[in-house]
Amino acid sequence: MSDFNVTGAEGTVSIKPPPETPKLPPRLWIKENLFSSPFNIFLTVASTGILLILGRGLLSFIFSHERQWGSTATNLRLLMTQAYPEEQYMRVWVCVGVIFTLTGLSMAVWNAGSRVALRRLGSFLLSTGVVIDILTLLAPFSSSATIIWLCVGTGISLFGGSLVKFSDEDKTMSVLTVTVIALAVAILSLWVVPYGHHSFVFERTPRSLAEAGTVALTTKLPWTIMLLIGIAAYFAGKAIREKVSQNVLRVSVLTIWFLAPPALLYLVLRDPDFDMGHVLNTDIPIFLVFAAVGAGLLFWLTRPTAGELGKVIAAITLLIGFGSFLTPMRMIIRILILLLAIFAISAPTFAGDTQTRRRYSLGWIGVSGVTCWLVTAINTPSTVEVPGSFFIGGVSLTLLIAIFTIVISFPLGILLALGRTSTMPIFRILCTWFIEFVRGIPLITILIFFSIMFPMFLPKEMEIGEVASIVIGYSLFSSAYLAENVRGGLQSVTRGQHEAADAVGMTTPQKTLFIVLPQALRVSIPPLVSHCIGVFKETSLLAIIGLFDILYIARNVIPNQTEFLGSVRENLLFVCLIYWILSYQMSKASQRLERRVGLGER
Amino acid sequence: MNETNNETSTGSNRDLSNAADMIVCENVSKWYGDFQALDEVSATIKEQEVVVVLGPSGSGKSTWIRCINRLEQHQEGRIEVDGIELTNDLRNIEKVRSEVGMVFQQFNLFPHLKVIDNVTLAPIWVRKKPKVEAQEQAIALLERVGIPEQADKYPGQLSGGQQQRVAIARALAMEPRIMLFDEPTSALDPEMIKEVLDVMKELALSGMTMMVVTHEVGFAKEVADRIIFMDEGQIVEIGTPETFFTDPVEERSKLFLSQIL
Ligand SMILES: Nc1ncnc2c1ncn2[C@@H]1O[C@H](COP(=O)(O)OP(=O)(O)OP(=O)(O)O)[C@@H](O)[C@H]1O
Ligand SMILES: [Mg+2]
Repeated sequence: MSDFNVTGAEGTVSIKPPPETPKLPPRLWIKENLFSSPFNIFLTVASTGILLILGRGLLSFIFSHERQWGSTATNLRLLMTQAYPEEQYMRVWVCVGVIFTLTGLSMAVWNAGSRVALRRLGSFLLSTGVVIDILTLLAPFSSSATIIWLCVGTGISLFGGSLVKFSDEDKTMSVLTVTVIALAVAILSLWVVPYGHHSFVFERTPRSLAEAGTVALTTKLPWTIMLLIGIAAYFAGKAIREKVSQNVLRVSVLTIWFLAPPALLYLVLRDPDFDMGHVLNTDIPIFLVFAAVGAGLLFWLTRPTAGELGKVIAAITLLIGFGSFLTPMRMIIRILILLLAIFAISAPTFAGDTQTRRRYSLGWIGVSGVTCWLVTAINTPSTVEVPGSFFIGGVSLTLLIAIFTIVISFPLGILLALGRTSTMPIFRILCTWFIEFVRGIPLITILIFFSIMFPMFLPKEMEIGEVASIVIGYSLFSSAYLAENVRGGLQSVTRGQHEAADAVGMTTPQKTLFIVLPQALRVSIPPLVSHCIGVFKETSLLAIIGLFDILYIARNVIPNQTEFLGSVRENLLFVCLIYWILSYQMSKASQRLERRVGLGER
Repeated sequence: MNETNNETSTGSNRDLSNAADMIVCENVSKWYGDFQALDEVSATIKEQEVVVVLGPSGSGKSTWIRCINRLEQHQEGRIEVDGIELTNDLRNIEKVRSEVGMVFQQFNLFPHLKVIDNVTLAPIWVRKKPKVEAQEQAIALLERVGIPEQADKYPGQLSGGQQQRVAIARALAMEPRIMLFDEPTSALDPEMIKEVLDVMKELALSGMTMMVVTHEVGFAKEVADRIIFMDEGQIVEIGTPETFFTDPVEERSKLFLSQIL
C-alpha cells in the first residue's frame, strides 16, 4: 500500500533459522515410522496389502480388453466443447491462448513460484519411478508393454536417484521451471509417442477411426503453441515488470482477468453480428450521455464539502432507478440509472482530493462502458451456428457456469452477510429471510425452477437464455451459503477493531470496506474456497436438467454412439479425473493464498 | 499542534482558569440493563488540561471516557465536546470523533495494514488528505513517538510498547484537540511502560488536552493538572495531585490510596 521504503511484503525482520532437525536415512525412517511395534507392523502390512489389491483392481479395470478407451479419445473434443463447429474451432484456441497469456503474465507480475531443492525433486522422481514400476507389475500388461513401462519407471528412478546423490545440498530450481519442463515433456510426447490417431471419419463405416500413429496435428500443434505462448507471456511480463510500477501493473492485469470471460464469451466464441446502424444511433449515444452526465455528477458528489445535498441527490437517483421499472424503457437505461445510483450513494466514502475524484469518475465511465457493451453484445445474435440450445458444452459449459456463478455470488454473498449483520432492521430481516429461504431449498429444485419457470415470470419484451437464467438461479443459491461463510468471518473481527475505526471517525461504509471486510475475508478463505469447489462440482447437477455439461455427455451422449454403445464407465472415470484435477488445483491455490496473506501467523 | 503555546510545564502549578472549556459533562448517567454504571457525573475539562481519572476496578472510568467520543451512549445528562453537544445526530458524532483521539488498553491496531497505513488510513479517507501529504505526516509522527524505522512492518511484528506508540501516532494523525487514554500501559510489560509514558508526557507538554485513565501514580503526580477519583459510577473527589495524594478529603479516596500506594 505505501510507496516508500518498500522492503518486501514481510518487512525487514531477519529471523535466525531454527536448528535443523537431523534427517533420518530412509531405512531408519521406515523402521521408526512403519515397523516400530508389532501392532504397527501389522497395520503397515495390512494397509499395504489392501492398497495393492485396490491398485490391481483399478489397473485391471483400466487396461481390460473390454474397455473402449477409444470412446473417450475419439470424443475428447465433444467432452471439451460439445458441438462447436469444426471450421470455427480457431475461436476456441484463441480463448485458450488468451487464458495462457494471462496466466503467464500474472505469474511474472505476481512473482509466482517458490524454489524447490534439487534433492527433494530427485527423491520425488525416485519414488514416482518406484510407484510406476510397482503399478506396471500389478497391471495385466503384455510382456512387451511390461518391459517398456519397467524401463520408463526405472529410468525415472535412476534419474531421481542421481539427482539426490550428486546435486549440491543447497542447489534449488524454480517450481515454474519444473512445471514448464514437465508440460514440455508431456506435449513433446504428443509428437513422438504413438498414442494413436483417433477421430470420426464420416464417410466410412464404422465412422470412428483409431489407428496407430501419432496424435492428430489439430491437437498437438495448438497445444505446443499454447505452451510457447504461455512461456513468452511470462518473459514479457518479467520485462514489463521492470518498467511499469507494480500497482498499476497489478490493477491492469486484474482488470483484464475480470473482463476476459465476458469478452471471450461474447466477442470471440459467439461473435456477435452487430447491427452497426443501431449501435451508432442508439447504443453509443446512450452510453455517451450516461458517461458524461454520470462522470460530472460523481465528480461533483465526491467533493469533500458536498454534504447533505449530495446524499439527497444520491437518494433521488436511486428512486428514479427503481421508478424506471414502472414505465417501459430500454433495459440498458434502467441498469445504468441503478448503477449510477449505487455510485452516487457510495460517493461520500470515496471523496477526496482532485486525483481521487477524477479516478472515481473514470471508474464510473469504465463500468458503464463495460455494462453497455455487455448488454449490446448479449442481445445481438451470434454468427456461430451451433446445434442445440447453447453454443458450447462439455467442460467449457461446466467451467463457464461455475466461473460466472462464483464471480456473481461473491459480491452478492458479501452484501447479504453485511445485511444480515447490519444494525438496520429492514436489511437484517430481508437478508436473513432470503438466506434461510434459499438454504431451505434443494439446489436441483432451484435449477429446475430457473431453467423452466423463471423465463415465464419476466416481462414480455425481455428474453433470457436458459443458461443465463440458470446462472442467475445458481448464483442466488450459492450466495446464500457464501453469505453464511462470510458472516462467520465478520463475527471474528473483534469489537476493539470496530471501536478503533469508530474512534478515528470513519463512517460505517469506510469501516466495513477498509477494516472489517479485509479481516473477515482473510479468516474465511478456507470455507470460501471449499464453497467454490462445491459450486464447481455441483454443476454436474446440470446433467439432470438436460444441459450438455461434461457429465451428461459422458453418461448419455457417448454411450449412445453406434461405435461406442454402452461405454459409460470409461467416460465416467475420465470425468472423475477432470473434476479431481480442477478441484485439486483450486485447493492448492487456496493453500498458497492462505500462506500469502499470512493467515497462520496471527 | 499549538505551537503558540509558551508554557513548558504541566501539572497543578499552571493557571488554566482562563482557558476555554473543552469537555463539559453535566449529570451524565448511564445504565447497562438495570445496572447503573455512571451516576450523575459532572465535570469540566479545560483546554490544554491534563486530567487523570483514578478509581477501583468497575468504578465506571472506562464507561465515562468512552461516552465522551460516543463509543458508549449516555442516557441522561449532557456531554459537550469543544462546543458540540453529543446527541444521536450522526454528523455531530463524526465531528466529535475526528476531534477526539483515543488510545485503548489493547492497542487495537489494524493487523492487516502496515504501520504506515494504520496511521495514514483515517487522514486520507476521513480528513481527505492527499496521500503523499498524509504519508509525510505519518513519518513525522512516527518519529515523534520514536519508531520511524518500523513504518513498513505489520503490527504483529512489533513489541507491545511499539504497538501502543503506533496507536498514539494513529490517533494524533487526525490532529485531534483532545486525547483520551484508557489504561494505555496496563497491557504492557514493565520495561515498555516507560517508553509509552514518555510519549504521553511529551504530548502533555506540547499542550494537548488529555484525559487519562491509568494506575501509574508517578505519571499522575508528575503530569496531571487534576485528579478525578471515581467509585461506583460517581465522581467522589476532584483535586490537584498534591492534595489528592497527600491529603485526600473523602474516606473512599483514603481507602483506595492505601490500597495502591
Ligand atoms: N457492555 C457492558 N454490559 C454490561 N455491563 C457493563 C458493560 N461494560 C461495563 N459494564 C459494567 O459497568 C461497570 C463499569 O465498567 P467500566 O469498564 O467502566 O469500569 P472501569 O472503571 O473501567 O474498570 P477497570 O479499571 O477494571 O477497567 C462495571 O461494573 C462493568 O461490569
Ligand atoms: Mg476500564
